[in-house]
Amino acid sequence: MTDEELRRKIFDIVALQVRRDTASLTAETTLEELRIASLDMVQILFGIEDTFDIYVPQEGQHLRGGTLGEVCERVKALVAAKHASA
Amino acid sequence: MSDPVRVVVTGLGCISALGHNVGELWWALESGTSGIAPISRVPHDQVHITIAAEVKHYDEARHFDAREVLAYDRYTQFALLAANEAITDAGIDFWRNETLACETAVIVGSGVGGWDTIDRTFYSLHKSGKSRVAPLTIPRLMASAATSQISVKFGLKGPAFSVSSACASSNHAIGEAYWMIRTGRARAAVVGGSEAEISVASQLAWESLRVLASDTCRPFSLGRKGMVIGEGAGMLVLERFDDASKRGARIYCEIAGYGLSADAGDMVRPDVGGAARAIRQALETSRLSPEDIDYVNAHGTGTTLNDMTEVQAIKMVFGPAAWRVMVSSTKSMHGHALGAASAIEAVATIKAIEQRVVPPTANYLGPDPDCDLDHVPNVARQMRIGAALSNSLAFGGLNAVVAFKAV
Repeated sequence: MTDEELRRKIFDIVALQVRRDTASLTAETTLEELRIASLDMVQILFGIEDTFDIYVPQEGQHLRGGTLGEVCERVKALVAAKHASA
Repeated sequence: MSDPVRVVVTGLGCISALGHNVGELWWALESGTSGIAPISRVPHDQVHITIAAEVKHYDEARHFDAREVLAYDRYTQFALLAANEAITDAGIDFWRNETLACETAVIVGSGVGGWDTIDRTFYSLHKSGKSRVAPLTIPRLMASAATSQISVKFGLKGPAFSVSSACASSNHAIGEAYWMIRTGRARAAVVGGSEAEISVASQLAWESLRVLASDTCRPFSLGRKGMVIGEGAGMLVLERFDDASKRGARIYCEIAGYGLSADAGDMVRPDVGGAARAIRQALETSRLSPEDIDYVNAHGTGTTLNDMTEVQAIKMVFGPAAWRVMVSSTKSMHGHALGAASAIEAVATIKAIEQRVVPPTANYLGPDPDCDLDHVPNVARQMRIGAALSNSLAFGGLNAVVAFKAV
């Protein structure tokens, strides 16, 4: 999977939950400005886990802060870690 | 106008992670001992959170014959054992008192009912490739199974139904039973709640909501990470004060009032206003003031949000009295038994009134600035409790609070 594919998939997952057009999201968009409700956030985390077949640690504030670009980087790292351990 | 009927508790029963009866529960609560441990019913390689507050050393064959085991889901078994203990404790033989039996209600709270039966049935069909389903599957799994089986086992023929409001189920059950007796629709009640849903599917579902702690349950504490799933049942026998006095029964305490509300907001995020309205109504219906309340057995799940919200709600209703009331969460010891939680917590609260000991919040590491009431950290406290509240603030925004008063 290319970085661009990964980015697009993550943006789609987030866009669905925040009810916005994917095109309105950028790598600089912060999770904070999207004002994501707690139940929407767990659905985003589940969507990411399910799409990339990875485990986002329960208590790690892993994907909870920062920009969407940073979220993509962290997911990329989790995917890489999964392949490394496989 | 005649005085309203007073409703008292004359029997207690409980099975939980802290033991198979009320004596074992109370010993653990008083000593601050937690029943949270590595899960035995779920393979650890299929889940990420591998702790729970399970009922331990439980052998169904010790309590039920082979035919009964076929008929009772684990949740019904727990309900029957707790009901048996409570009825024996109250010293009433309903089989010998047909009139009373016809006026005795059975109300049991449960979040999901026979989950274990559902889980095993689906597994055998979809995974093991079986093509037949046992005939008692429906009577085992229905959410009213425990209510029916208690009524059958003890010959109780009054109003009987189940209540489901997630983690507030048992408080709604206890509150409704209290109202039925108070308003003359029942003379006595066997009431409480039961839950047994620890399985791979439920554990993964709770994980997915990201509310579980991986270490332990430490409500109101610094460093709390979430809740720990528990299981079990709690049961009470309720009677009219006059009936109990007349027959010379031991009276544990009085149920003084009951408050209920809905947040009408988020499915998982608790609301200060909704919680406060239920607490305030419990005080109003019991004609108690915040100054009368010595102890609050909190909902206290151990999640960041619940505990903070609950503290705010208590402060909103109690005002300055919030600084003197003791607010502990016994979920730190028996875990979060979901639909059975408030029944187990009712037993804990009633024993606290009887024993004049406030159970602590176990696993407490230090004060969180957001939870700055007296949370009775780690060590029980000897104290006469004139009146107490037991809070339940359920997922889905359904709240129920029961007020208990020393007699």
